[in-house]
Amino acid sequence: MSTRLQPPPVSLYVHLPWCVRKCPYCDFNSHGIGPGAVPDRAYLDALIRDVEQELPQLHGRRFQTIFFGGGTPSLFPAGAIGRLLEVLARHDAVAPGAEITLEANPGTAEARRFAGYHGLGINRLSLGMQSLDDASLRSLGRIHDSAEAIRAAAIAHAAGFTRINMDLMHGLPAQTPAAAMDDLRRLVALRPTHVSWYELTIEPNTAFYSAPPRLPDEDTIWDMRVLGQQQLRDAGFRQYEVSAWAAPGHECRHNINYWEFGDYLGIGAGAHGKLTDVERGTITRHARHRLPERYMKLAGTPAVVVRRQELAASDRVIEFMLNACRLTEGFALALFTARTGLDAEALAPGLRQAADRGLLAQGAGRVQPTEFGRCHLNDLLQWFLPEDRRVRATVQR
Amino acid sequence: MQHIRNFSIIAHINHGKSTLADRFIQICGGLAEREMVEQVLDSMDLERERGITIKSQSVSLTHTAGDGKQYTLNLIDTPGHVDFSYEVSRSLAACEGALLVVDAAQGVQAQTVANCFAATENNLEIVPVLNKIDLPAADPERVIREIEDIIGLDASHAVSVSAKSGLGVAELLEQIVARIPAPRGNPDAPLAALIIDSWFDNYLGVVSLVRVVDGALHVGGRIRVMSTGHDYDVDAVGIYTPKRTPKETLGAGEVGYVAAGIKDIHGAPVGDTFTSSRRPAERPLPGFQAIKPRVFAGLFPVDSREYEGLREALAKLRLNDAALQYEPETSQALGFGFRCGFLGMLHMEIIQERLEREYDLDLLTTAPTVIYEVESASGEVGYVDNPAKLPPPDKIREVREPIIRADILVPQEYLGNVINLCVEKRGVQKKMIFAGRQVSLAFELPLSEVVLDFFDRLKSASRGYASFDYQFVCYQPAPVVKLDILINGERVDALSCIVHQDIAQRRGRELAEKMKELIPRQMFEVAIQAAIGSKILARETVKALRKNVTAKCYGGDVTRKRKLLEKQKEGKRRMKQFGSVEIPQSAFMAILHVGKQN
Repeated sequence: MSTRLQPPPVSLYVHLPWCVRKCPYCDFNSHGIGPGAVPDRAYLDALIRDVEQELPQLHGRRFQTIFFGGGTPSLFPAGAIGRLLEVLARHDAVAPGAEITLEANPGTAEARRFAGYHGLGINRLSLGMQSLDDASLRSLGRIHDSAEAIRAAAIAHAAGFTRINMDLMHGLPAQTPAAAMDDLRRLVALRPTHVSWYELTIEPNTAFYSAPPRLPDEDTIWDMRVLGQQQLRDAGFRQYEVSAWAAPGHECRHNINYWEFGDYLGIGAGAHGKLTDVERGTITRHARHRLPERYMKLAGTPAVVVRRQELAASDRVIEFMLNACRLTEGFALALFTARTGLDAEALAPGLRQAADRGLLAQGAGRVQPTEFGRCHLNDLLQWFLPEDRRVRATVQR
Repeated sequence: MQHIRNFSIIAHINHGKSTLADRFIQICGGLAEREMVEQVLDSMDLERERGITIKSQSVSLTHTAGDGKQYTLNLIDTPGHVDFSYEVSRSLAACEGALLVVDAAQGVQAQTVANCFAATENNLEIVPVLNKIDLPAADPERVIREIEDIIGLDASHAVSVSAKSGLGVAELLEQIVARIPAPRGNPDAPLAALIIDSWFDNYLGVVSLVRVVDGALHVGGRIRVMSTGHDYDVDAVGIYTPKRTPKETLGAGEVGYVAAGIKDIHGAPVGDTFTSSRRPAERPLPGFQAIKPRVFAGLFPVDSREYEGLREALAKLRLNDAALQYEPETSQALGFGFRCGFLGMLHMEIIQERLEREYDLDLLTTAPTVIYEVESASGEVGYVDNPAKLPPPDKIREVREPIIRADILVPQEYLGNVINLCVEKRGVQKKMIFAGRQVSLAFELPLSEVVLDFFDRLKSASRGYASFDYQFVCYQPAPVVKLDILINGERVDALSCIVHQDIAQRRGRELAEKMKELIPRQMFEVAIQAAIGSKILARETVKALRKNVTAKCYGGDVTRKRKLLEKQKEGKRRMKQFGSVEIPQSAFMAILHVGKQN
């Protein structure tokens, strides 16, 4: 099945696993730490060892995008981040014109660093606003308030960032559709070029999961969604993914690479990666040690990777679809073949079932979820899960 | 024969039957200390968990009595639930006496009464035993009065014991020897052995527990099953001590097992008689009955690929359960499955649980129903065990439903509640006797009302204090109608039920409401209707789910998001696909959960 695989573009994800305080809805690998206590030097040493060990696996491909995620990457001073970028430059590992994003908390302390980040060549900033309503921010356990957030946005623009994402949630505890629209209106006024507008979801292993807040009911959230979509469209944004909205040309290339089933190297504690080896015909996922201390100890040795999974044909089908169907435009069948090494036939039975239910449309070598399918993406994807998961479930029981 | 005593223990659940049996075994040395498992006789996990006995068993104990002589005491354990009353009656028929064990704190319970009457009918000598005498709440005098008033038995010589501590158990063994008569039988007459129970053993084939009444059973002898006329060679006989102990012969008066290469338990039915092929007895022992299931339900595999597995599992269970009946059933909604007949609700639950646990099957069970006698317009009489198969009204002259007699014992303070419940369930009062703190009630009730939720309702109406037993009485004409449920305009056969016409309207409304609660919102709107024939009684709508999509998914999330999808799919797999609608298993039982509040 290997022959049709083509080497996909490759991205770099850098995980910086600390936050001043863990938010009650967050299920990412993040660890609370006092400001100023982040062991930035040791951690960067580890990241550098880690990436230098991995670069040969890329077979000469250069990173098209880099994303510093967390955690709160903006807890790291620009100088620290700069060390990693220098190493990458020395190895000529970054493609010209690469998109380099850093996630930042819109607090006063962090905003002071924005100019420094921009000076390093970081050309995209992602601000975790989440809400611009102080009561909502408190209910989400955020450490910043709306005034700080507004200031942070202004500082980001002033620092020279022309590509700015802002994360905003809706469906917050006790939120009304009117309040959600106010939030969105205030956010748009801060002139983001990209908006990640997503519904608050209660994930397992979070504080909200063990003590769930009262969330608006399904129909109320639906109303927010309809109103919000209109508002974002009116403000000139285009929805190109389930929760991602961009001004023309400002789509996040890094995330699009995930959704198009591209390759990525993930370094840092708990980071995940996916790499294609065209010669061996394999696609492999790997995950690194989650605990920062262990990660720093093991980085640069093969033992830093705690899980490695080679994707079988059936895995490739569902995992490709899980990503690609999130895109409003869908995908070309040719992309499926190039990224999975599988013939388009492998999708045919599922496509037929999903199309029969009005979940997706096909034509001119492309597959695109319908509006209905985008609302019921989980139902659409059911048709691409391998059969007989039950066998596995039984064994586990 | 003078040194044999055959007896059973009659007791309500948790009144201490199994503990007492354990104590006997311990005292009489049937097992080494390390072999004593709690409640030796209840060998199925399920039996031990539920504290009930499903299969009959026996144990032969050796006891040296106060007179210095050695006695063989055969304890024949009886099933402990109303569903198995026929098996109980056969166990009792094999004995000369019975211990009536009553919890000295709780007093007499309905089940004890019913079994006690069965014992008296078999002319058994009954030895009343007050158990748990060491409990602070024990009130022996009240309980003695209850035994005398409710059962009509002289209890002045009741033996007081604590099976748990062993207190009084030695004295009880003496009383068994002294008060229960030795078996009477003719060792020289042709063989007549009563089959108390039969089960399938992988090595021996069918093994039967028997009581030899006349004659003797020898290894190598040729025996005949009197109801079928089939002959077999005896491979093995023996007793349980409780370990299986082979012998050459079982003589008149003895209780033990026999294996004769019988392939199928239906070849050795409970209550039947083994006789000698060479010199057959003139007539079988009295009381043999063919077993008739009273409660029916459809069992369907959730995954249609498990149909064969279900068939095999049912066949295996039937090897050891003559009362279980099944035949293939095809439902438009549920696909291929089996319509199964059970003795009662507990029997049904046990079978369901064993299929799921021991055979790892995912099953979908339709609501239980009774068997109706239907006289067609042309005068033919047939039986309908599946509501979907009830002919249209114009093809029916009369439908008759099974009526049972319910014996209920309830403390006075709950009498009003219980009577209200019975009346609501279309009951007709037959008897009411006040006995001490308790009232003994008899009602005639339609079995169809009992299989729904009577047990649960009785429990809550009496805070768990009422006890209940029933027996089939007759078929009685009943104005019943078939209530259908339509999903998106299509009748779902597995959801049809037969209800009394007076409450049909209300039931239909309640059922539609309940279905609305049970069917989750899904991609499309779901319309639920309740109807009799073409007349729509009620209509409910399950609104469409607006969306089902994961808000976020980035590089690190793929594995987790995929697990989420797999979990959703597993959830769906446990539902039944009906057109574009997914119906959860619980919806097929909805009828059991309606009509609770008036």
